[in-house]
Amino acid sequence: MPFDAEDSRSDDALLALYGQGDRPAARALALRLTPLALRVAQRMLGDRAEAEDVAQEAMLRLWRAAPGWQPGAAKVTTWLYRVVVNLATDRLRRRRAVPLDEAPEPEDGRPGALAGLIEADRAAALQSALMALPERQREAVVLRHLEGLANPEIATVMGVGVEAVESLVARGKRGLVAVLAGRRGDLGYDGE
Amino acid sequence: MTGSEMERDDTTLADFFAAARDAAPAPSDALIARILADAEAAMPRRAEGPARPGPEPRRGVLAWLGAFGGWGGVGGLATATLAGLWFGYAGLSDPSSLAASVSAALTGGGTAAETTDLLPGGETVALVAGWEG
Repeated sequence: MPFDAEDSRSDDALLALYGQGDRPAARALALRLTPLALRVAQRMLGDRAEAEDVAQEAMLRLWRAAPGWQPGAAKVTTWLYRVVVNLATDRLRRRRAVPLDEAPEPEDGRPGALAGLIEADRAAALQSALMALPERQREAVVLRHLEGLANPEIATVMGVGVEAVESLVARGKRGLVAVLAGRRGDLGYDGE
Repeated sequence: MTGSEMERDDTTLADFFAAARDAAPAPSDALIARILADAEAAMPRRAEGPARPGPEPRRGVLAWLGAFGGWGGVGGLATATLAGLWFGYAGLSDPSSLAASVSAALTGGGTAAETTDLLPGGETVALVAGWEG
């Protein structure tokens, strides 16, 4: 997890200080937590501008939650992960609501194009492959393998049981391997 | 799915996950600035303390005192008020003469002003506190 060398105070302590009008505490929290929010939003949405909007909205909700925050009741980061995931999911649902002929096709990962990407940039290849997964599998894989959360915490963030998390992660990884290897048939698409 | 297939998946993906973690998007200064602006706007305000400058409409004693620049500006007046109140109760058996002597003192008239070195007595203090009648 990102280590904030500048401030050893806990997220809870900083949030409580912010709630009392402490500006430096707000700055420390913003520097510490915005990267988390942006990363997860970016992984879920595949779009930098939308990811920034989600990150900003998530942090705004944190600022508003500060006065009523109960220290020790939940981890600030767990709470923030949940808000980011929910906001990103909302955006993804809105995309799906767009008429089909206007919608981008995130599942349309042409194996040949991906093979080229793999040579050039593994990180970009992974992001493309993530966008080819069903959203819940994408969420679970991002939280587990890119954010490093343990399954119980992922369960809290996603609002499901631990076994469901394990299943989503396993299926997600299988899907990633299939896409990265160019075997779109393994994802259940007909033809190609 | 077999255990060995899962292990193969993990091995295949390990490099990709590592590359993705290394290439994680970092927030721009502009994004941080927007988020801090939101923090400022949403920040709970501390309760007003005595050091807060500026006149504020208030009732009773404080409004009266405010006209004199607060407690500091009326230190002497407050002391004299209390003293006058004490002297008034101590020195007069006839309340009606208190009113006369206070009025005389305030208007600067005649003998009463010289002999009755009172500043606002009971009635004036009562008015100051916002009490009616």
